[in-house]
Amino acid sequence: MVEFEIPDVDYTRYSNRQLVAIPLAILGLALVILLGNFLITGTSPVSLGMAFTGGTELRIQTADTQPQIERTFDADVESIAPIRSEENEYIVTFPPSDADPQQQAQAAGYEVISSQERAASFGADTQRQAFLGIGAAFLGMALLVFGLFRTFIPSIAVVASAFSDIVIPVALMSIFDIPLTLGTVAALLMLIGYSVDSDLLLNNHILRRRGDFYESTYRAMRTGVTMTLTSIAAMTAMTIAASLLAIDLLPSVGIILVFGLVADLMNTYLLNVSLLRYYKYEAVAQ
Amino acid sequence: MIRKNWRLILLVVLVLGGSLALFGPLGAGGGEGPTNLQYGLELSGGASVRAPLVGMTADPVDLEGTSGQDLERNIAEELGLSPPTIEVRHPDSDEATTEGTVEVYNESVTQAEFAAALQAVGLDADESVIEAGLTRATYDTAERVLDSKINAGGLTGGDASVTTGANQTYLTVEVPNANRSQVLELVGDPGRVQIVGLHPAEGGYERVPLFDQETLNVNGVSQNQRTGQWGVDVSVATREAAQRFSTIMQEEGYTDNQGQCNYEIGSGPDGDNAYCLLTVRNGEVVDAVSMGDLATTIESGDFVEDPRYFISSNSQEDARELEINLRAGALPSALDVESGTNYFLQPSLAQDFKFLSLVTGVIAVLAVSLTVFIRYREPGVALPMILTAGAEVYLLLGFASLIGLALDLSHIAGFIAVIGTGVDDLIIIADEILQGERVSTGRVFESRFRKAFWVIGAAAATTIIAMSPLAVLSLGDLQGFAIVTIVGVLLGVLVTRPAYGNILRNVVLD
Repeated sequence: MVEFEIPDVDYTRYSNRQLVAIPLAILGLALVILLGNFLITGTSPVSLGMAFTGGTELRIQTADTQPQIERTFDADVESIAPIRSEENEYIVTFPPSDADPQQQAQAAGYEVISSQERAASFGADTQRQAFLGIGAAFLGMALLVFGLFRTFIPSIAVVASAFSDIVIPVALMSIFDIPLTLGTVAALLMLIGYSVDSDLLLNNHILRRRGDFYESTYRAMRTGVTMTLTSIAAMTAMTIAASLLAIDLLPSVGIILVFGLVADLMNTYLLNVSLLRYYKYEAVAQ
Repeated sequence: MIRKNWRLILLVVLVLGGSLALFGPLGAGGGEGPTNLQYGLELSGGASVRAPLVGMTADPVDLEGTSGQDLERNIAEELGLSPPTIEVRHPDSDEATTEGTVEVYNESVTQAEFAAALQAVGLDADESVIEAGLTRATYDTAERVLDSKINAGGLTGGDASVTTGANQTYLTVEVPNANRSQVLELVGDPGRVQIVGLHPAEGGYERVPLFDQETLNVNGVSQNQRTGQWGVDVSVATREAAQRFSTIMQEEGYTDNQGQCNYEIGSGPDGDNAYCLLTVRNGEVVDAVSMGDLATTIESGDFVEDPRYFISSNSQEDARELEINLRAGALPSALDVESGTNYFLQPSLAQDFKFLSLVTGVIAVLAVSLTVFIRYREPGVALPMILTAGAEVYLLLGFASLIGLALDLSHIAGFIAVIGTGVDDLIIIADEILQGERVSTGRVFESRFRKAFWVIGAAAATTIIAMSPLAVLSLGDLQGFAIVTIVGVLLGVLVTRPAYGNILRNVVLD
């Protein structure tokens, strides 16, 4: 039978500096990757999906091979991906252009199963709104957290950890070339909620309860790690199932949440814990 | 007993209510299959188009002492357009201002030309008040027209709606079970129909607008018994319009030249003695007929008393299209489909998505259950946890059918996210109550439950704040996701999580 024990980390063996070093190094690395990618591409640190750039996406059924498909269309084909669960079905994407790939597909006798077309200007509008949305959500969360704790260090610990929980998955998207879509934006916003859960729990146990720091931390960890692992289990299952079944939207939501939740485990129990320990033993004592 | 278990009772009552909404008479209806649930395009298949209307608006413009109709005619003349492409909106009479708006429903006019035309008719306006885009009132009119075009065209279940983006307004047209070209055809056609008289005048021909969609009531498509020609039976809506028509017909000589209409569609009248009634669609002449028998009833005065009239067309299909346009009215301006989005999904694939996303949801629930069972190993704690999280999704589905929310993939993602946060919070409650020494009294239980609830409430508030920008912004797919998550979190905090605490209380206090 599988054992499920939350490790009792002996935090006393490590100094705050040592504990903070790992999450900060990883956050720094993530930021460097994003900055580097931004400098290389000159436009955006992550590749933008069709929702943000405009263009056309067709799901077609045909006995043609991939090179044949590519030759059928006048417009540049951005990508052709076969669908795993269906034979002879492909998803073909095109950058925004004046050509009408849908008509060409029909003219070539391909069966168009689904199609999606977005003007570039429409994509730009969506992009602006998405960044606005993420910014507003993050700001709202930060204000709420500061309102709840009313002290700087515990509040900034939660906000910093949430920030890192978002930046790390975005850097991973950049590495694995997962494009930013409406689904991944939703997942990033969802991460704000998930991330703050375990941080609030930890802060609550350490600051608002009587008892030893390490004892409180252990209790918060027992609950918090279970929570995060449950969510990781749900999201991994969803990602695998939805991508095998070739359902739109769900796989990208799932994979980003998995990335972010794993980052959250690290950030909460290394970054947040050490900031709280510094606050409890050093900042308050002064 | 009841006082102690009221949270549980509330959950049971709401689950029953949810069942009524899902399967019974409480749902908004219109759903297919065994439930009242309604599905959006992604789960039912169909096509949608989202695009802005073309044109620009001068706002604000001082309109004191002006008449809307005169202004519209004069501005149109300055720009070389027809009067229906200009819309002057005066402020409501109860408003203290005299400032209104002037819109032009045309994409070829530049801002400078528009400003010049406004100044030429004596309005105080320059380019700085002119912006691309049209007023909300125009969008609302367009929405109404599209809705009735969809219904008149027999595309059942279709719907038009106005959405506001960051700096642009869009019209969205969704039609289940239709394909892309059907929807593009529907929205691509402004559908402006006019009946115009054409008669000889000094130095050529003169055209007089006679009727449009506003002044004609449609009786239906019919076939002329004698000639076999298809057309639309209409009657003139007002006595004034009928009177005006009669007068023009008699004064300009139509009734005296009733059989004479030598008109070649595409090139114009033959010779110099044609008297025709032209059917003009979107500025193009599609049919030209002579007065025929109408002359007799006009001269006898019967027409004004019983102003019925037959507009002929070339085929049954044309007559049907004419009927739709006459019934639905005209779109104020054309939709700029090139600057929008369109989406199509084959219904069969949508059916697959519906089933497969259910499978995905079930797999996610199983993964959660497995983790929870491994962690707690006590069915008394773990089983209610799964059931409560399940109840939360069930309530959400009930809510969706109550308000008639059309489910899409984004909602499914929202449901799965709700299961995730829901179980998280139940774990907080369970750990808080089961930790340390056994809970022996109701008082200890309440105190621990309240402690757990602080974290849950704070986490819920954060999730709601994080999701609210999405619920307001029109990011299309994401709005549904955000709404489902917010409602799910609220249902969880107010109903299901307290109920789980209630169940645990019974488990530990027994």
